[in-house]
Amino acid sequence: MTAREPGESPLVARALAGDRRAVARLLTVFDDDGADARRAAAELAAHAGRALVIGITGVPGSGKSTLVNALLGEWLRRGRRIAVVAIDPSSPITGGAVLGDRIRMGEHGTHPDVFIRSFSARGELGGLSRATRAAVDCLDAAGYDRVIVETVGTGQSETSIAALADTRVVVCPPGLGDDVQAIKAGVLEIADLLVVSKGDLPLAQETRREMREMLTLRRPVPEGGWKTPVLVVSASEGSGVGELVDAIEAHGELRGRGRRREGGDERAPELQPIAVPADANDAPAWRARLAALVARDGLCATLGISLVDGGPGRSEVQMRVEPRHLNFNGGCHGGAIFTLADTAFGLASNSHGPVASGIDAHITFQVAVKPGDRLVARATEVRRSRRIGVYRVEVACTRGGGDEQLVSCFTGTVYIK
Amino acid sequence: MNTNDFRPRVLVTKIGLDGHDRGSRIVAAACRDAGMEVIYTPPWQTVDAVVKLAIEEDVDVIGISSLATDHLIVPKLMKALRAAGLDDVRVVVGGIVPDNEEPMLLEAGVRQVFHPGSTLDDITARIREYASEARQARTAAGV
Amino acid sequence: MNKPVAATLLEPRADADPHANWEREYRESIGPDRSIENVSGIAIKPLYTPRDWARYGSDVPLSYPGQPDYTRGIYATMHRGRTWTQRQLVGLGTPADYNARLLAMMASGTTAVSLIPCNSVYRGYDMDTVDAELLGTCGVVINNVEHMQRSLDGVDVGTVSCAMNDPSPFTLLAFMLVAAERRGTDWRRIAGTSNQSDYLSHFVANHMFYRLSLPGARRVLMDHIAWCNEHLPRWNPMSVVGQHMQQAGATPAEAMAFTLSTAIQNAEDCVARGMDPDAFLPRFTFFFDISLNFFEEVAKFRAGRRIWARVAKERLGAREPRSWRFKFHGQTSGVDLTRQQPLNNVARVTVQAMAGIFGGLQSLHTDAYDEALACPSEFGARIAVATQNILREEAHLTDVIDPLGGSFYVESLTDQMEQKIVSIMKIVDDAGGMYQAVEAGVVQRMIGASAMRFQNRIDSGEQVVVGVNAYRVDEAEDERPLVERPDPAVMKHHIDEFVAWKAARSQADVDRALDRLTRAAEDRADNVFGAVVEAARAGLTHEEICSRLRRDLGFGHPLAVV
Repeated sequence: MTAREPGESPLVARALAGDRRAVARLLTVFDDDGADARRAAAELAAHAGRALVIGITGVPGSGKSTLVNALLGEWLRRGRRIAVVAIDPSSPITGGAVLGDRIRMGEHGTHPDVFIRSFSARGELGGLSRATRAAVDCLDAAGYDRVIVETVGTGQSETSIAALADTRVVVCPPGLGDDVQAIKAGVLEIADLLVVSKGDLPLAQETRREMREMLTLRRPVPEGGWKTPVLVVSASEGSGVGELVDAIEAHGELRGRGRRREGGDERAPELQPIAVPADANDAPAWRARLAALVARDGLCATLGISLVDGGPGRSEVQMRVEPRHLNFNGGCHGGAIFTLADTAFGLASNSHGPVASGIDAHITFQVAVKPGDRLVARATEVRRSRRIGVYRVEVACTRGGGDEQLVSCFTGTVYIK
Repeated sequence: MNTNDFRPRVLVTKIGLDGHDRGSRIVAAACRDAGMEVIYTPPWQTVDAVVKLAIEEDVDVIGISSLATDHLIVPKLMKALRAAGLDDVRVVVGGIVPDNEEPMLLEAGVRQVFHPGSTLDDITARIREYASEARQARTAAGV
Repeated sequence: MNKPVAATLLEPRADADPHANWEREYRESIGPDRSIENVSGIAIKPLYTPRDWARYGSDVPLSYPGQPDYTRGIYATMHRGRTWTQRQLVGLGTPADYNARLLAMMASGTTAVSLIPCNSVYRGYDMDTVDAELLGTCGVVINNVEHMQRSLDGVDVGTVSCAMNDPSPFTLLAFMLVAAERRGTDWRRIAGTSNQSDYLSHFVANHMFYRLSLPGARRVLMDHIAWCNEHLPRWNPMSVVGQHMQQAGATPAEAMAFTLSTAIQNAEDCVARGMDPDAFLPRFTFFFDISLNFFEEVAKFRAGRRIWARVAKERLGAREPRSWRFKFHGQTSGVDLTRQQPLNNVARVTVQAMAGIFGGLQSLHTDAYDEALACPSEFGARIAVATQNILREEAHLTDVIDPLGGSFYVESLTDQMEQKIVSIMKIVDDAGGMYQAVEAGVVQRMIGASAMRFQNRIDSGEQVVVGVNAYRVDEAEDERPLVERPDPAVMKHHIDEFVAWKAARSQADVDRALDRLTRAAEDRADNVFGAVVEAARAGLTHEEICSRLRRDLGFGHPLAVV
């Protein structure tokens, strides 16, 4: 908390002086993008930079909120002042939301050194709301030295929090199967710390082993760099929490604070190279590599395109035709089909490692595609030399429970760097 | 003030000892379906917890659900809200409140008591109005 | 002059099917008709005929009472041999207030005790740690053995059946046992039920009763069942509850399904602990809500009885018939009662009670007409008991066993309810059993959806509630019953006495007793409920016992699903 600068708005001044209500009012100003929002955000940014910002993501049911509660307890014990920004998705139809994360944060919410604020994502898909950055600055400036941003992440949308948080924690519930698969791509990309929650459950240790194996797919870390640990925490038993906090603090020490304040595109994730599997037959490794590439792709997230399979020089992606894909005649927009095919093309041509940029592409639309159809695009390598690659993509459509039919053919050429 | 300019933030909670929350959960869902942002808590919140929550979440309206006799301590809550400077926040009570005890609540500052028979449309419409009132009061007070 | 009736009119048309005739005439006369579904979602027809009852026409279309599949009743004699127990819930004020009301109720026809404590007791607190305004408004304030003794003055627990509505760790039963011990009553004579000992239903739909964590409550329940089986041969430690879920919005079929699934979960937990099904199943009882959906409730109970007998035998492996018996207590649903025109509630309760009686319950509580407002007045409570007496003595409802048996509608609906209940039980099984299903919120979400559907039907007027959304009347101030509250001076005296009593105890004794509780909690081979009884003997208070066990076994935080 610092002295008021001349010209600062009174609300900001009161917030900096520790007035809890003023802080809360400012958070609302940012949420509603009110008239003074920009000015207040700038004023607060000038005072921010001390707090360590911790991003916590995980699929629904992964135990994030229980974990946050345990972290609050541990940090309070260590004499910290902690703020929590909890973001819940909003209803796409009514825009309303039930912001319930707070209720699971248990008894620490009433501690004077804790501040908990719930936000609705208000339609944003990346897990954060538009106000989050300003909110974090505000809490930072108000004197909270640990700011936790808790949000839903599904492996394909952790990218927003990547740019905001200094330390990124991804929480995974014990278990094998879809949930774990879903977070793999995001995990490879951005996690600084991986936590297996509900550590008292029998599958927890096995899940930890699986996570550690996946991390080996990353490029090896340079000397002195941060090695992402996988920790097992049982909030109910109270085990592993201290170790988690130690790890967060250590990461904060190493990487420093203020990642969100570094320039550049707010949404650009850190582009670490993703390992190319040595063995052409290592199917899971190839799938993981291509999934990680898809996870970085903004347009794939926007259109709901996901990976089915892939290998060296080939890929298969899918998309279900929804209202957002339709043109003004009510049929599937050609651009959506093109994007799907182009995605397959891009994955197949980039699978080998060197960056391949498209320089020419053609598509034919043979059959009308309707809402509800499931589209699959399969790319194969026709020819590849050192600098040029040619790929063919076939887009097939399944309607209801019926057979596949070919709806589109695409040919593309890449220039390989 | 047009409530389309902002999203009402509503706290739905229960104080006291009773734990029947069917009503409060339904009202919370109805408010969400009406486009509002709802902070929902389980029962047995202390008065202090509610005040802190109301401050941090900057709520416009607090909805207290009361089945048994927990409305009897709502005046304590109203007093605590005033002491914390939250005069602009509107408080409504819903559930079972005997007729002879309603005046006591209104005198303590409760904006409205919803009795059984109130429809969800009615409740959400009034909450929206009160949220607007709260925002106007805030602006007027320069908070 | 009268024309003679044409001969042809008197003879049935040889070429026509009477059913088709009726159908045609019905459709021609009915005008705009509506398709009807009961609350559980089963389509209801205007008329039921032999065709609707699958087993009609077979040699034994229906089992006999006291024989598998028990559809008609668990005993050969049912109410004719032994009428249902009139077990009215009583609870208010101080022990002295409660005792006065209890004795008055017993004088007017209540035949068993069902004690309901104050909300502060449900939350695990003593009277000196909560807001005084809230004490004694919905139940009696009992925090130690002396209070229990005073509450049951004049009632011999060795001869009168007692139900304690008290969840884990069952301190009230512990107080009752120690009080009985001091009076010289042999524990082996004590009959009754640990009412609502079912922690899963509390986790789902009655959070007020939910004190310990899920695993903690599970452990204490198992200990409780084992301890009672050993020391209280006439006591039912397991009371599986369907009431709260139905009151929270579950349809009757859902309530029955979830309850049976809970019973299966608890039974399997007992088996896992090494208990023999034939030893513990005879002491499993059920506790249900009875709504105004008359026929649906009757069918629900008959179907439940049938399913449970099958489950006990085939799934749980019980060999003795007494293990297959579906013993249940029914409580008329307070959710159906209205604050407007409260006297109408007398009619509502009567219909609900009849549904429970025809459903074959063993024990019944009828609500007072003013129950929608607060704790019932003595006047209202008397009418509630009189209702039961009238149904028995003046309507002669105990004369015939399962009188609705054989009705085409009731039998058809029983079969359909059975199918629906079984399909919902399968959902729970697929989720890994009731414990896992409630932990994950599966059950809560289903109930929430049903509750919302029901609310929408009321809001839209589709479901008429007399006096509320239709047939409204402007009531004068004095038509509404006054709410009775405990006398603040009397309650203050109760609190002061209690505080003084606490201060006079030996702190060393208290600490020792608390340690004993902790040791029992930490040792899985030890019996926590046994330690609770010892703690009661040592003079620990309700809150002391609850908070120590909450500390050691986990504080209960229910899952809230919106």
